[in-house]
Amino acid sequence: MSINITNEGFFNSHFLAEKTRDNPLIRVMALHALAYCERLFYLEEVEEIRVADANIYAGRRLHEGLDKGSKKYTLELASQELGIRGKVDYICTNAGELIIYEHKKGRSNKGNQAWPSDYLQTTTYGLLVSEHFNRPVKELRIRYHADNKTIVIPFDLNKAKNEILKAVKRARELRSCLQRPPVNVPENLCRTCSLAPVCLPEEEHFAAEGKEKPVRLFPAEDERRVIHILEQGAFISKDGYQIIIHLPDGEKKAISTAHISSLVLHGNVQISTQTIHFCAANEIGIHWLSYGGHYVAALQRGAGFVQRHHRQYDAFCKPFFTTLLIARLCQAKVENQLKYILRLARAKRSTPVQNKKTLEATINAIRHEIKAIARIEKTLSKADDGDIVEYDKLTGEMRGHEGRAGREYFKALACILNLEKDSFLYFDGRNRRPPRDPFNALLSFGYALLYKDCVAAIQAVGLDPCFGFFHTPRSTAYPLALDLMELFRVIMWDMPLIASVNRKQWRKQDFEITGKQVWLNKEGRKKAIILYENRKKEKWKHPVLKYSLSYARTIELEARLLEKEWTGSPGLFARLRLR
Amino acid sequence: MNTDKHWYLFCYDIRDQKRWAKVFKIIKGYGEHLQYSIFRIRMTKKQLEKLRWQLTSIMDVEDDLMIVKLCPTCAKRIIDSRDGAKWKQDVPSFEVF
Ligand code: SF4
Repeated sequence: MSINITNEGFFNSHFLAEKTRDNPLIRVMALHALAYCERLFYLEEVEEIRVADANIYAGRRLHEGLDKGSKKYTLELASQELGIRGKVDYICTNAGELIIYEHKKGRSNKGNQAWPSDYLQTTTYGLLVSEHFNRPVKELRIRYHADNKTIVIPFDLNKAKNEILKAVKRARELRSCLQRPPVNVPENLCRTCSLAPVCLPEEEHFAAEGKEKPVRLFPAEDERRVIHILEQGAFISKDGYQIIIHLPDGEKKAISTAHISSLVLHGNVQISTQTIHFCAANEIGIHWLSYGGHYVAALQRGAGFVQRHHRQYDAFCKPFFTTLLIARLCQAKVENQLKYILRLARAKRSTPVQNKKTLEATINAIRHEIKAIARIEKTLSKADDGDIVEYDKLTGEMRGHEGRAGREYFKALACILNLEKDSFLYFDGRNRRPPRDPFNALLSFGYALLYKDCVAAIQAVGLDPCFGFFHTPRSTAYPLALDLMELFRVIMWDMPLIASVNRKQWRKQDFEITGKQVWLNKEGRKKAIILYENRKKEKWKHPVLKYSLSYARTIELEARLLEKEWTGSPGLFARLRLR
Repeated sequence: MNTDKHWYLFCYDIRDQKRWAKVFKIIKGYGEHLQYSIFRIRMTKKQLEKLRWQLTSIMDVEDDLMIVKLCPTCAKRIIDSRDGAKWKQDVPSFEVF
């Protein structure tokens, strides 16, 4: 079964400012969603998360393409009394009888019945039309195109009124609530639900019941692509449904908008207002980065995250909750650092004796920090609500452990890379703001790209990046984006970067060295972007959920799992590990 | 949600200049214009359905639309006098200018 949405499409109210005051009329299609799954209703109508899939477009095409016969009429109706509005198709027979006629792309229920959601939808239409003409409609007809069946249901005004008022009441109850209803429908409904990639019902079951392995309803790859514009002085405009990139030398590149997920503008790149509007309306992201790779701004559309932000604030106000999250995040980060070092050490056979000793010492030091963090986590998870726990102290300690492990990790990296002192890539530890050597410039630039993707993922999920749990509030960066990034620094940038250094991909000419500061120049940045973007599209198997997906999608997945920590199915965030 | 992509040939015959121009503009938002009324597009099933929906609202009953789905092997075997190589290349997953 599929969910059909009529070509009424996504309603855009001109009266947004008035919305919060009165009890808004409920769309008939919302009642359809309500009968299908309460969580679906909540996601679509309350949180306003709308995702169209192939079925939905096919359904819209069906409605669009139907023979608009002479006896068929379409009306847009609203009823204050019932509290609903919608666009109705009906037929007036020669005898003057009114009949509701609804088309569905899918199959009927067992060949002789309507599905409950379709029944509720057409019944509502019946009520609207009856009220409008002040006489009851005769019957409802639902035509299922996939199995070519028409289900005829006699219309009973009083019964219909009772049913609809009950549904509207339930819809209003859900509307006034801040919590998403739990996943509570048979699996087959989820499988054809267009919101499954947002709702993640299988992951929810997995968290609750520890099932073997969830089915993947989350897309494994990005459907569209990222466009980076590095060329200084370039100008971006729109022509119809194409984005045109005007390069300074007069050359023009046209890209079909259906294939663009986001535009990343580095430095001095212009973009027209029309293009920005178009991107906002078509879910194309825009990110502005400074020439040096600092994150400047992103395009963020409208409001609509109210419930999600509220839930997030509530959760982050509980110190027990955030301290436990910190413990898990730190563990994930440091364990991944250790695993990567061990992997590199295994691969490298001929390490000089001196280096070997340092390496062993650093590995032991990192192990030590991991144990310390694990101990804190244990204390925390054993603590009861009534216990007095000094959360700030524990958080401070964990920051210390994570920081020390990080320093040891970079020491170990330097050790393993074993570059000569006069190599231009030689480094002996992490430095930033500004980076003082080419290797650190590379690290910083890659992290900036990763940071941008973490912000984008947080935006896509609809969380507030300003509220993090681990990083302290500073105005230079979004704390929550930095938190999320900790999971991916090693996997998404350190690993491909070290591999590229080993392949000797970098040249001194890729850098601009001014006094004590080092930046990547245009060629260098281009190389780094290619390295990073190639890494993003590589697929791996998520070690906990056990399905494969690209690294790019993994960022969004982890952001969604993070939200689940406070929306009813905790335990999945920050469990990803390198093998 | 399936994100697998395939090549499609979109061929149309539209009897009215105004409608032709509208259809042309929309399909340009999806793929590459090859010949007078032929496009090549690489897309997912969802994108295909979206495009078909958008076209339905413009096209008339007297207009024709033919969609040819090409399997990867077929796509590689295309004979194209202008640029045969492009059929053999993978579509990039990102671009840098
Ligand atoms: S995926 Fe399942 S639980 Fe989630 S909204 Fe859809 S039908 Fe409801």
